[in-house]
Amino acid sequence: MATSSVSAAGPRTPRIPEPLRRLTRGLAVPVGSVLFAFVVGGLIVAGTGGDPVVAYQGLVCGGLGILCSGGENSALQISNTIIFVTPLLMAGVAVALPFRAGLFNIGAEGQYLAGAVACTAIGVKFSTLPAPILLPMVLLGGMAAGAFWAGIAGVLKATTGAHEVVTTIMLNYVAQWLVRYLIIGGPLELPGGFSVSSPIGPGAQLATILPNDNHRILFGLPSSVYRIHVGLFIALAAVAVFAFLLWRTPLGYEIRAVGQSQRAARYAGVSVRRTIIVTMLIAGAFAGLAGAVQIAGVDHNLTDIYFSDTTGFDAIAVALLGLGSGVGIVLASILFGALHAGGSVMQADAGISSSLVLVLQALILFSIGANFLSAIKVRLPAIGRSRSTPPAAIAAAATATEATGAPPEKDTS
Amino acid sequence: MTVIGDILHLLTTADLWQAALAASVLLLLPALGGVISERSGVVNIAMEGMMLTGAFFGVVADLAWHNVWLATLVAIVAGGAMALIHAVVSIRFRADQIVSGIAINIFAAGMTVFLVRRIYGVQDIGHVGPSELLPNLSIPILDQIPFVGQVLFQQNVVVYIALFLLVLVQVVLFRTRIGLRIRAVGEHPHAADTAGINVYWIRYGAVITSGLLSGLAGAFLAIGISNTFVPNMTDGRGYIALAAMIFGKWTPLGAFLACLIFGLGEAIYANNSTIHVSQYLLSMLPYILVLVVLTGVIGRSNPPAADGIPYVPGAE
Amino acid sequence: MRGITKAWPGVIANNGVNLTVRAGEVHALVGENGAGKSTLMNILYGLIHPDAGEILINGTHARITGARGAIAHGIGMVHQHFMLIPVFSVGENVMLGREPVTGGAFYDHARARKEIEALTQRYGLALDPDARTGDLPVGLQQRVEIVKVLYRGANILILDEPTGVLTPQESIELFGVLRDLVKAGKTIIFISHKLREVLEISDRITVMRRGKVVGHLVTKETNEQEIATLMVGREVLLRVEKKPAEPGPVTFRVENLTASSDRGVPALRGVSFELRQGEILGIAGVEGNGQSELVEVLAGTRRATGGRVLLGDRDVTAFDARMERDSGIAHIPEDRRGTGLVLAYSIADNLVLGRQRAPAFSWHGMLLRTSAIKAWAKRLVKEFDIRAGGIDVLARTLSGGNQQKIIVAREMGNRPRVLLAAQPTRGVDIGAIEFIHRRLVAERDEGTAVLLVSAELEEIRSLSDRIAVFYEGRIVSIEPADTPEERLGLLMTGGGSGTRTGAA
Repeated sequence: MATSSVSAAGPRTPRIPEPLRRLTRGLAVPVGSVLFAFVVGGLIVAGTGGDPVVAYQGLVCGGLGILCSGGENSALQISNTIIFVTPLLMAGVAVALPFRAGLFNIGAEGQYLAGAVACTAIGVKFSTLPAPILLPMVLLGGMAAGAFWAGIAGVLKATTGAHEVVTTIMLNYVAQWLVRYLIIGGPLELPGGFSVSSPIGPGAQLATILPNDNHRILFGLPSSVYRIHVGLFIALAAVAVFAFLLWRTPLGYEIRAVGQSQRAARYAGVSVRRTIIVTMLIAGAFAGLAGAVQIAGVDHNLTDIYFSDTTGFDAIAVALLGLGSGVGIVLASILFGALHAGGSVMQADAGISSSLVLVLQALILFSIGANFLSAIKVRLPAIGRSRSTPPAAIAAAATATEATGAPPEKDTS
Repeated sequence: MTVIGDILHLLTTADLWQAALAASVLLLLPALGGVISERSGVVNIAMEGMMLTGAFFGVVADLAWHNVWLATLVAIVAGGAMALIHAVVSIRFRADQIVSGIAINIFAAGMTVFLVRRIYGVQDIGHVGPSELLPNLSIPILDQIPFVGQVLFQQNVVVYIALFLLVLVQVVLFRTRIGLRIRAVGEHPHAADTAGINVYWIRYGAVITSGLLSGLAGAFLAIGISNTFVPNMTDGRGYIALAAMIFGKWTPLGAFLACLIFGLGEAIYANNSTIHVSQYLLSMLPYILVLVVLTGVIGRSNPPAADGIPYVPGAE
Repeated sequence: MRGITKAWPGVIANNGVNLTVRAGEVHALVGENGAGKSTLMNILYGLIHPDAGEILINGTHARITGARGAIAHGIGMVHQHFMLIPVFSVGENVMLGREPVTGGAFYDHARARKEIEALTQRYGLALDPDARTGDLPVGLQQRVEIVKVLYRGANILILDEPTGVLTPQESIELFGVLRDLVKAGKTIIFISHKLREVLEISDRITVMRRGKVVGHLVTKETNEQEIATLMVGREVLLRVEKKPAEPGPVTFRVENLTASSDRGVPALRGVSFELRQGEILGIAGVEGNGQSELVEVLAGTRRATGGRVLLGDRDVTAFDARMERDSGIAHIPEDRRGTGLVLAYSIADNLVLGRQRAPAFSWHGMLLRTSAIKAWAKRLVKEFDIRAGGIDVLARTLSGGNQQKIIVAREMGNRPRVLLAAQPTRGVDIGAIEFIHRRLVAERDEGTAVLLVSAELEEIRSLSDRIAVFYEGRIVSIEPADTPEERLGLLMTGGGSGTRTGAA
């Protein structure tokens, strides 16, 4: 699927095979952004009297299990990273799908929490049911809760035009307070007042991939320490479903059409309102699933970790860095999962606040944002094209007699 | 229900309204910034981060130099610096403005905590002494009026400044030449360009101004209402200010009305000890209020026509 | 302008162009899309910097950098797409950039009003300085642009395709204004590709093709055919050759249709007509009299408020766009870039726009049949001669003519029963116009019922078998194809007594 500008008669480029050229062009922007972020981050650390090398070493150790100097167990680090990656995959999809419809789903965090709450509530209430019944119940319940949470914003947008950025952010805060309410002296609290929820029944728990056995030693540690769970496969399947939905189904075609041109979509017989709502519902379901999987696979109950959870926000960076594609989301999730896991090691070993990870994330967003529109809307951007006034635009203006005066596409927000 | 009764009783106290006005000013300042920025055509959801930055640097400066006015100035400049980043990324690099705004917010959240650790190590950041906070000002004679006097004339100095700025921005935007040009740039930058107006300067100026205002709000929050810095202490106010701006149809007076409503919600929450319901449920009040208000925005309010679209000269 | 050259990567927009304009004349600059006329004028107006060449004004060399420089030299430009701010008043739009102030910073409304009134009276352009620009009809908006330019002291006015957005009546008024301006000593450069108007208003003509000047003509001594030939470089068919229609049974019937416009105002006030297989019914009328709404209702993108539409014997009044399409009603929309295409989609994707759930292209509406879509796309690209690098090329990179061909191909490719064609050749170059006209006639000959809506009276008269004249939401008359233009023009503006066929 090559793009060629009809009017450009450029010099012949050397015969690099097309798929490889596409790959490098597609990767150039994200990789460049990450490098940029690390360089600037290093400068910030150095500029405030820290040692960037030690800091990054801690990050890399915690994230990828390599270059560890403090005696950390590599396998454990990798395992922890995978645990962070799992929900990010699904949450990343939850942000990436609405992007395609021209919507900013900043509410993935709230939808994630809604899913976690639903999973916990169902898992506690029906804790005696066996796994083949309870597990699907909690997962589907999580998806439904997330879909509902996103649906509110979707309906508001479709009916009143309320901008989804503001509504979803508000819903995030509501969700966060809801979690607090539920487990601090609230209905889900474990009796005894520990500010955690009761645990979900064993039927709702996702199995770990490695045997949950204290006596088996794997990679130097008891096997039960590695908490990676089958939710990982659910997550990867979710990403595959997302890609399939977007590119291989009429619904995906319609979602992308709505994102590009609402008028053309209407002309094509697509109900824009319905598409917006459906998109948000599906997105919310993905985010809710992420929350449910996290409870079912890792924590098994709702704790105060969820007060300061940032999965939904990291997902925004994942979706953007991943350029909204399935493969991109996987790669970006690995990056941010590794950063997240690495942050705590960095803080312990190098004394640099793990908030540096947030700074790095922001820097990546800045540089991606500068290329974002061209990356998604005009597939395969040429490097550096977005900086200068594209000649094509002026040539188009010069042949302005062709245009029928259609105003530029813009989101009716 | 006693909850409603509690709230109604609360609404009759002057204390509540006094707190509501102060809380609304905390939203008004970034909302004014948002109005100016978006009127010039730059979507700005970074008020949250700019406020947070202002709050942080205000506290740090106050602890270091023990001078609240200097510290406030530092806070304002810090907000402006954050805005400058947003401006450069959005205007010069034509990045997607919502992404840039979110990036600023994440950046601010991360940087402030990072710097706390760097500067103060593992200790607490410390508290600003009561004499080094932005002072409350009572207007003589007027403050003796029952009820109204307490609400309107016994406020923090920033409140008076903010109300003055409200009028100033309203007048400038709609009655002066520069306001006309700002609005022209936000509606149809190409037309403004061909009329000889420098689109870039105006947009940079507008965005930086929004940063200055948000920085002031941050100072008010950290060294006026509170006396220290807590991570993420802005708690979404920047976003609520956005909603106020939308509700106010991108006019200062309209935004102020919304800020009053939201400020009321916040003041009610702050007084949660007198209301018999979980404080956590009550905390949701401001945010739910925003949702309710936004659904009621009748018809689709129209932002400035070129809002959010980077200006590419020569392209039509 | 002498020896002006300007090149972009891959295309030479202006190649050694010489242009001479005499003071006090109306000079027309004519050419196809992409010929380089707009580039040349943008250079004159300072928006683009030439690679080579010079500009002389009244004999003296002039360096023009930017719009401000051009204005300083007395050059003013009225753009094709107005540089007006809809929410501002006329006064504010005219004054923008040079606003009168009082008290140091406050915008002086009163003085602005006075100055505009002085200007409008002097040049005979009636305008209300306090009117909201967005509410004005297009013809008046254009006047605001002209006043803007005059306010800044322009002596040379460049008008870029000024009549593209005007009704015939407004065009006549514009020409009156132009003549008055010339009498007052102004010089006018008029960019157009509408040959009739060029012949009517101009004194001399410069024809450009592919970046070069290919002819200097004196208007009085030339004709349409000569100009067209120069523009395209070969003999151009200005009229479509077609054999007489052999209409079949009535296949599409509209009865007393009513509908409202976007503003809630009634746009269709009881429209009735019949459409037969194998004929082209042209809808003539000044834009804005309800034709757009008619097509939208028939295509299913706008809801009717009353009346019936029958396809065969099925009532399709309430059908939405998808159902209409499924029933065999094809629609070429008037706004190709915004509505008819998704510019970011490939040619292939655009060729199934609207049919993405059809059984031919999807498996039970759940899965896209990509190979079927590809085969379909390849076939249509070949059949309709869409010039591009392949079916995966993005639509936004194509020329207007090729983009329109995609839409035409898509709508005709499905052997529709009824084809609704709204402004099918607007903004398209002559070569593509020819092609599309021939295809429309071919469709008709295959038995399709074609409804043609066009603001170009020539096109209607050339293609239609019958002509229905629209005025104020009603059909005032249905006339035979060879009706003289004057009569049609009269009916279009509400005069004359037509055969009131079906008017309610």
